[in-house]
Amino acid sequence: MLAPMMPLQASGVDASTAEIDLRAVARDLWPRDTLAWWLGGAPPRPDVVAWPSTAAEVERVLAAARAEGRRVVTYGAGSGVAGGARGVAGAVVLDTKRLDRIGPLDPDRWTVDVEAGVLGEHLERWLAARGFTVGHSPSSISCSTVGGWAAARSAGQFSSKYGVFEDMVLAVDAVAPGIGALRVGEGGEAPPEWMDQLLGSEGRLAVITGVRLRVWPLPERRWLRGYRFTDLAGAVDAMRALLQAELWPAVLRLYDPVDTRIGGRTRPKKARRGPGVVERLRAAISALPGARERLLALPLSLPGLLNDLADGLASGCLLIVGFEGEGEVVDASAAAAEALLAGRAEDLGPGPGERWYASRHAVSYKLMPIFEGGGFADTMEVAAPWSRVVAVYDAVRAAVRPYALVMCHLSHAYPEGCSLYFSFAGRGDLNTYDRAWRAALDAATAAGATTTHHHGVGRLKRAWATAEAGPAIAGFEALRAQLDPEGLLSAGGPFGAPVAALPPPPPPEPVDGLVAVAVARPGGAEAELAWPWERLPAPPRWQRAPWQVGWTEVRGAVAGQPCALGRAPRSAAGPDLRGWLAGQDPDATATISTAAPGPRWMGIGRPPQPWAVAQALLRADLRPAVLTVVDGALRVGFRGPAAEAFGRIAAAQVPGGLAPAPYEAAPLPAGPLEPAALDDPAVVWVTPQGALRRAAP
Amino acid sequence: MSEFSTCALCPRLCRPACPVAVGTGREAATPTAIAAVLVDWSRGRASEALAREAATLCLDCGACQEHCHLHEPLPERLRAARRALRPVRPPPALPPLPPGEGPVVVERIDAGAGALAPWVAARLGRPVRVWSAPDGLAADEAAPRDRAAHLAALAALLAGAGEVWVGHGDVAEALVAAGVAHRWVGELDPAAAAAAVASCRCGLGGAPPLACCGGAEPLASHHPADASRVGRAVGARLPGPVRVVDGRCLAHLRGAGVDVRWFTDGVGESDEPPSTE
Repeated sequence: MLAPMMPLQASGVDASTAEIDLRAVARDLWPRDTLAWWLGGAPPRPDVVAWPSTAAEVERVLAAARAEGRRVVTYGAGSGVAGGARGVAGAVVLDTKRLDRIGPLDPDRWTVDVEAGVLGEHLERWLAARGFTVGHSPSSISCSTVGGWAAARSAGQFSSKYGVFEDMVLAVDAVAPGIGALRVGEGGEAPPEWMDQLLGSEGRLAVITGVRLRVWPLPERRWLRGYRFTDLAGAVDAMRALLQAELWPAVLRLYDPVDTRIGGRTRPKKARRGPGVVERLRAAISALPGARERLLALPLSLPGLLNDLADGLASGCLLIVGFEGEGEVVDASAAAAEALLAGRAEDLGPGPGERWYASRHAVSYKLMPIFEGGGFADTMEVAAPWSRVVAVYDAVRAAVRPYALVMCHLSHAYPEGCSLYFSFAGRGDLNTYDRAWRAALDAATAAGATTTHHHGVGRLKRAWATAEAGPAIAGFEALRAQLDPEGLLSAGGPFGAPVAALPPPPPPEPVDGLVAVAVARPGGAEAELAWPWERLPAPPRWQRAPWQVGWTEVRGAVAGQPCALGRAPRSAAGPDLRGWLAGQDPDATATISTAAPGPRWMGIGRPPQPWAVAQALLRADLRPAVLTVVDGALRVGFRGPAAEAFGRIAAAQVPGGLAPAPYEAAPLPAGPLEPAALDDPAVVWVTPQGALRRAAP
Repeated sequence: MSEFSTCALCPRLCRPACPVAVGTGREAATPTAIAAVLVDWSRGRASEALAREAATLCLDCGACQEHCHLHEPLPERLRAARRALRPVRPPPALPPLPPGEGPVVVERIDAGAGALAPWVAARLGRPVRVWSAPDGLAADEAAPRDRAAHLAALAALLAGAGEVWVGHGDVAEALVAAGVAHRWVGELDPAAAAAAVASCRCGLGGAPPLACCGGAEPLASHHPADASRVGRAVGARLPGPVRVVDGRCLAHLRGAGVDVRWFTDGVGESDEPPSTE
């Protein structure tokens, strides 16, 4: 029976000091702490756990903690793998899981409000019952909370279509020790730029109590296929080509030769009536006392040999391509993708993709046996622009192979680059673990990768994230001085003492689809811009669609010190300080996306209520490069090998059709913008959620 | 290595299914956290009291096993752990069997299960004798020798009683342990019983007697805030109103505030509040 709860020091909020509760929140899923626990250690234990169920109760917990002189650690589902929610001796753990309400859903605007303690699986199930999805599907969906997604800047397996988590957020509700309850984004009074820092603040600026998210109808169709490439470089180039062709696959996953081989990913599993010989042998050995621990011990103790064996057995790498959404758009996208990949790789049919989809949430089950076997297993996700992907892959594998078997898959692809997700398993104590990680992160960042893509920073990576942020940390500290002046909120990340200064990221190359411009004069670029904003920064994310990228990297100076933020294609090393940096330096530069050469299509029509029609096209899964209304005429333009096919689909959905016209790019409005009715004559822009007009100065 | 290692090392993937974890919001109530305490207990890093506290959090609903891709039999292992961790208590006294002839209906009215006897009598078309079984009939918490003697006495008491009808999982488990032949009340209305099994997920794991959501401790004995939240989480998993074939389920679910009835409408409903033993 659970020990009864008791009020937290006059706050009236349910709390517990029972050992069973404190043990449970003393660690998250940081494999280092799991290894330490398995070896007999224990992380620092907090003093009390509190369960606020409203924002007002969160305020009372913070006030009570302040009165008692305790720090506060926010704890969702504790699924972070970087030690961000690890125990702090003497602290109050603010457990968010009673902030568990979902709704309302606005089926007209395609939005849902959800509290921070809601588990991802529960949210998706609730939405699916109503015909919608957030489109956020991390492998941790059944053991992570919405608040954690926001605090750590999560990304899901379908991020290439739906965006990373900050692309999905329209508003954030939070409670900050310094100012109390606040809302930023839609309907919020807080400065819009606070959103950039609240997302990714990992519990250091405020306690996120809820978010408003954009939602999408459940996809009408899903298309999945596997392709075998003979070499990694060729496959990486194919990924780049697919993204820069503006086909917007929902899924693009490339397994390196080792992962392809070890995972048996290209061969269908044979149906068996019962366990095979290997399984029976493994079960028999496992039943012997002490044998199970030793079963994996020998191979994990010889990582160099294991890596060599794996390399020797490997042949080819698997690319899984997937589209989902409106049927016609999926068909057109898939046809263009098939044509683009023809001749580059062996078509393996739908099997590999469908097998991956069926088991996409089961990968975490494979880690437990390694710990049981006396080893450790961990994953490292970094990201790099296309020009650096293979170099990062080679550098990390070379750095880690003396310590652990290492394999990799590439995913979360963007037109500018992708994430590299390394998995490694080794044997040894905490020193071995630490050395492996240090070698991996040093190699990755030296080769041009960002510190972290979507697992958050935590204790694991804060030294590198701090070095990556450099002098721009002043921006974080300035906001922290407002929101948490007493330093009440304590968490593992995102910043701490830095490692040695990181080399600046190398300049982009043509294959990266990026060009450097002056922030003050973005129109000075010589290349065709993918998203030609009137000025930078682009409107905040909740006022543009996920695929309409603002900037990638920003370089400037803080008090004379050079600083480069936002390593391509996406750096989630803590809060986004790019806007702050650009505001500090009138001479700041940014890299922004360019449009790949290739086919173009444009059509012009005069439907009634043109902006409503424009929104309908976005809601029909079309992603025009040009979507604007000029003198009452709707102008729709597409780029890439499927441009004409998308144009035909769009024309069929526009009352009166679209007459083909010469392609002409149009500048995109920059802020400040405010919501407007779709039939407001002042509308200048539309998103799937609604229309926007220029705000009064 | 502990049999709880796999669950203790898991990234807590079954947590959305666990009604106690979902209902209370307490990390300690997740199957993973429970397993971790039991691993620590097996290694001497947690006390027996802590292990008992962890093991009795489970409601035995089987939802974690169903959700798990590996189908780890955590509920079964926790049941064994609870048996090993229970404090030793003497077996309960056995009330005498009512005199006379005719079938015997074993009741557990004091557990909030309601009276079955009138319904059984109506179905059989003849009078029945009622024997009120005490709490803890299976004497799981007794020392092994005492338990053996108690079960032998139970068998002797009901030997020659003729037909013995049972509608409560605790009773059924005791009679099975004592080797007493008995029949389940569901046999008297198979269609209604089958429908109830479907509605209450009793189909999980097979035929009665089993207690989904029975658990080691009645929900009503938990902190009221916890019990009501868990009850709501349990009720959310079951399409309501829930009909049960096992009186143990009835008592526990009703104690948790779930709208629950016997598998035949109105049979044996009791106005008595559930026992808080």
